[in-house]
Amino acid sequence: MRNARCQWITSLVVVKLFAHGLTSQAAVIDFAHQVVPILRQHCLECHGENKSKGGFSMNRRELFFDGEVAVSGHASESLFVELIESTDPEMQMPPEDKPRVAPEQIKVLKQWIDEGMSWEPGFVFGGEGWEPPLKPRNIKLPKAQRGRDHPIDRILDAYLTEHGESSPAQISDAGFLRRATLDAIGLLPNPESLTEFIEDTSDNKRVRMIDNLLSNDVAYADHWLTVWNDLLRNDYTGTGFITNGRTQITTWLYAALRENMPYDRLVRELIAPISEDSAGFVNGIKWRGEVNSSQTREIQFAQNISQVFLGINMKCASCHDSFIDRWTLEEAYNLAAVFAETPLEVNRCDKPTGVVAVPKWLFPELGQVDPKAPRETRLQQLAELMTHSDNGRFTRTVINRIWDRLMGRGIVHPVDAMGTEPWSEDLLDYLAARFASDGYDLRKFIHFVMTSQAYQSQSVILQKEPGPDYVYTGPLAKRMTAEQFMDSIWQITGTNPSRAEAKVDRVGREEGESRKLHEQQVEAVSAKWIWHQGAVGKQSQLRHTFHLQSVPQTALMMTTCDNAFVMQINGREVTQSKEWDKPVYMEATRFLSAGENLIEIDAEMFGGAAGFICQISMLEKDKQMRAIISNAQWEARPPGGDWDAAKVLYMHGEGPWGNILNPKEAIMPMGPTSAVRAALVKNDFLMRSLGRPHRDQVVTTRPAELTTLQAIDLANGDILAQYLQQGAQQLTGKHGLGNWLYRHALSRLPTTGELNILKDVLGTRPDPAVVEDLLWLVFMQPEFQMIR
Amino acid sequence: MNSELLTRRDLLKQLSAASVATLGMGAPRVWAEAEEVVHPAARADSCILIWLAGGMAAPDTFDPKRYLPFELELDVDKILSTFPAIDTVVDDIKLTEGMEHLARVMDRGTLIRSAVQPDLGSILHSRHQYHWHTGYVPPITVAAPHIGAWMAKVLGPNSEVVPPFINIGQRLEGVGEKEELKAFTTAGFFGSQFGPMNLPYPADALKSVQPSKGMEPGRFANRYRHYRKLIDQNPNRAWVSDYRQESMLRSMDAAHRLLQSDERHAFDLTREPQAVREIYDTGRFGQGCLLARRLVESGARFIEVTTEYIPFKHFDTHENGHTTMKRMKSEIDRPIAQLILDLEERGLLDRTLVVVASEFSRDMMIEGVPGSSARDQSRAKTDKLKEMKQYGLHRHFTGGTSVAMFGGGVKKGYRYGRTADERPLVAVENPVSIEDLHATIHTAMGINPRTAYDIEKRPFFVTKDGLGQPVSEIFA
Repeated sequence: MRNARCQWITSLVVVKLFAHGLTSQAAVIDFAHQVVPILRQHCLECHGENKSKGGFSMNRRELFFDGEVAVSGHASESLFVELIESTDPEMQMPPEDKPRVAPEQIKVLKQWIDEGMSWEPGFVFGGEGWEPPLKPRNIKLPKAQRGRDHPIDRILDAYLTEHGESSPAQISDAGFLRRATLDAIGLLPNPESLTEFIEDTSDNKRVRMIDNLLSNDVAYADHWLTVWNDLLRNDYTGTGFITNGRTQITTWLYAALRENMPYDRLVRELIAPISEDSAGFVNGIKWRGEVNSSQTREIQFAQNISQVFLGINMKCASCHDSFIDRWTLEEAYNLAAVFAETPLEVNRCDKPTGVVAVPKWLFPELGQVDPKAPRETRLQQLAELMTHSDNGRFTRTVINRIWDRLMGRGIVHPVDAMGTEPWSEDLLDYLAARFASDGYDLRKFIHFVMTSQAYQSQSVILQKEPGPDYVYTGPLAKRMTAEQFMDSIWQITGTNPSRAEAKVDRVGREEGESRKLHEQQVEAVSAKWIWHQGAVGKQSQLRHTFHLQSVPQTALMMTTCDNAFVMQINGREVTQSKEWDKPVYMEATRFLSAGENLIEIDAEMFGGAAGFICQISMLEKDKQMRAIISNAQWEARPPGGDWDAAKVLYMHGEGPWGNILNPKEAIMPMGPTSAVRAALVKNDFLMRSLGRPHRDQVVTTRPAELTTLQAIDLANGDILAQYLQQGAQQLTGKHGLGNWLYRHALSRLPTTGELNILKDVLGTRPDPAVVEDLLWLVFMQPEFQMIR
Repeated sequence: MNSELLTRRDLLKQLSAASVATLGMGAPRVWAEAEEVVHPAARADSCILIWLAGGMAAPDTFDPKRYLPFELELDVDKILSTFPAIDTVVDDIKLTEGMEHLARVMDRGTLIRSAVQPDLGSILHSRHQYHWHTGYVPPITVAAPHIGAWMAKVLGPNSEVVPPFINIGQRLEGVGEKEELKAFTTAGFFGSQFGPMNLPYPADALKSVQPSKGMEPGRFANRYRHYRKLIDQNPNRAWVSDYRQESMLRSMDAAHRLLQSDERHAFDLTREPQAVREIYDTGRFGQGCLLARRLVESGARFIEVTTEYIPFKHFDTHENGHTTMKRMKSEIDRPIAQLILDLEERGLLDRTLVVVASEFSRDMMIEGVPGSSARDQSRAKTDKLKEMKQYGLHRHFTGGTSVAMFGGGVKKGYRYGRTADERPLVAVENPVSIEDLHATIHTAMGINPRTAYDIEKRPFFVTKDGLGQPVSEIFA
């Protein structure tokens, strides 16, 4: 960041006085033995390591020039010397209350400057006390204690012993199931699976449960998409799309998660995209107009790949040599130049320097990109270097992020500062090496962590936020993400949205086969545009009754209305739309039942043409196709009028609307069994309020706590209230509602004390409003909103 | 009285500091070197930003220039203003026709005529608005806090229940550039505790602080009572001491305190006498001004009231500028003037800073600044006037803009800076950058312009790079 530095320059240019004098030469000054001790004694307390008072740090030689503090070869023109020699209390350095630099020390410094300020190559004052190693390191596992032989437990048990701590107690089956389900697929276990799991007496039931959860590839991708969208700054709406300055990687990313693409390959496809599908990350956001030189697409590239894949903060170094770690302006620009299509001039604090960056990557010990190669080749080389088997920083960074997600706090904290010392280097290095030897398999790694006794331990309760002296004593509870919160509430209230914004393939494998049948058979749209007989009017009501032998395997619906409609099937709202030119494509199986089925439409026309059209293509259990289409067999009436056969206005494809329904789209939208999840829809007011970020920067950590404004939204916000109302409609009258709700939401039964309160709330004959309150009371419990 | 106020304010500050301390790992710390920053004595306790969104043409409002009425075949490059100048109660300050109410209160404040904005190469309103509201030109590497979030963060709330940062009149859904608007309508890296309470429809503001539709007050109170009981009955007793659980319950409690407090009536415009409502009611903006006054009376720290940014609407005049300006002035003139008078009458103007601003100005001929490469976005290009819709200032101009400030210790009846009398109408005397303007506003509020917080181990300053210099001449 340019802040401090640029300000230092500006403020000093004004007071700088030029004086000329002769330089005297004696023996050559030894920087390390003569200069360093003086600087350490008098200057570094304020102007070095992580301090940069007045915006000036002397960690590196160049910083003297950046701040125009010294003129190499000319001590007498150097502000540095002038300040040290000054007796003006306003000017002098060190400040008045500090001891002065001794005359003979001043002499050394002057001579050092006059001689050209020699500096050990690569020498930096301070920097980080702990230098992170680059290469992977193999760990000899400690002996297992008390038969706990999972490698994670062997390391952690030894760690705990060493720190005088004991291993945390095991979590209950119910607690485990809730935590594991939320962590692996972002959902709550339902009451049936809870019962089944608790009653299961087999030894390895936890491992089998983890297997099952992680093999649900759609649910896994639905959940982890949130994490990766945050990390890769991917979203469906947001800054930059308005001017086509940004593209999504959603379809590619989702497929990569679903098929469990190895992480090294995933990163290679991100850094050196083989198609446009994964190019949105490295391309960054292009803003209309001019941008600060530290925010060009090239610099965004350098910043983002450093932060996301290596846990390196390149933001400081994008403007000037970093004060906080070893990265320099040159390194940031050289990395950016790998991506640049044309020669990239280095800018310091937004000012051109005349130096052209040379495409280079950050760790030459692993190899280097060929600066003369074309851009595409350079990116491929960079991708190979990033995922090089000797790049331990790459594997450590990603496994630390996953550890943080699962265990509540990274082995290195914060997760973006991988230059910070881990609380257990052995654990970090072991996991990183294991991840690589397991083929960079993300799901296998998650499985590995979850099967440890450490993961399956009780969470630690914290009186205050842990500081840098953190000692691991067990997993920490996590706050639900906005998406986990929404998904859980939708799950219980049955209010998942009907349409996904994300264009992703969620079709299950079995389902894929039935889709094929659909594709072969659902080609023509035979539905017709209908309305009621007689004068068109503004509104029309339409309905149709049909009989089903059994609930079909799939039921793909496509429908639209000029201009607006609300559809119910069997009394439940299915969908509504006000955009006739965006037909609704959805899976409607869950609304259908064996026997009589009733579709009801409230249609409205705002002016101009009126018409409603609908086609439901069903694949029945016997693999036979059947279609429900809007036609003259439907009934229709103006509001308050008499039911009559619907009037057929046009065939599909005729009339003012053209071929508006596209059967191919109907086959795409989603799986019949898996409802649309929060990660797949646009950010809304409630999710934003609960911490889903506006993804125009990389965001790796969500807010850990609930704020008052968020609490207001939860107390009286319309969006949440609607879900609760809709859920209450369906749950009113449910037998044993309180118990069911507690088991679903919290994976436990209410205690007698709680049950008494619930009874008090529900009264004898609860109406939907009361059930709505009950839902709120449970969803607002910290126990619900935390994953303990 | 005064000392009582101080004590109360200090207490609130302590409270807010305590909650910050427990905010967790996301809570930014004061940048170590900025700890030594001494805040100036506050001249105001509250700030109202009247945001005339879309680029309000100064020559047609606060900075009249040579006026030529509409006339067929008139050379457009002769036109500087499309409204004649009018006198105000201050001798050397003229405004334009349609601002007669404001003309009568110009002796209560300072008019800066020389605010300037950088040329960003291409005008995107929301980008300039981001710059104006955060002090930083996007894109930047961290999410920058809105100026209101800075006040919420540094000064804390003024009231135990009213949120410190309230944003009135701007819809964030269903309008163009909405994602860009959301990007700065936020507390950024400070976290949402310091973010805005958004009230796009002032007449419905009460809804935000009362139970949702269909929820009777009794039921609402009862629900919360049951909630507290359930919390008390929770079998996992040990979690009571967990700091995150504790903080969550504290937030739930604060929310319910507001939703059941007397202060929530401040959000209810129907509690104003009909006559008062009529004075203000020129539409959503006027109602917003009235709401802002009520909220200041109840202890809000920072309030923004906007005419609302919608691309090509309101002050964003790409064509038909004169006619649109006439309507817009009738919408803003009376409510702003009345707000000033009401605050004064209640003795609040001295401790409330009212800032009237826009992201840039407009000109008949020049897009951006003279010599800019910015694409001409006028939709009514012509050399000579052929029809009324060509009559108006249709190009974005960043070389000289007016900002009016009232109350909060600024000079009364004072003019600062000047733009040229002939095109280009650039600031020719005392140009004021966004950094300096922010430094002035923050200084009035008692915030040192060098205040900084630590984000990713780097300082992030309240004015860009900590360089903003207050325009001290405008303080009384």
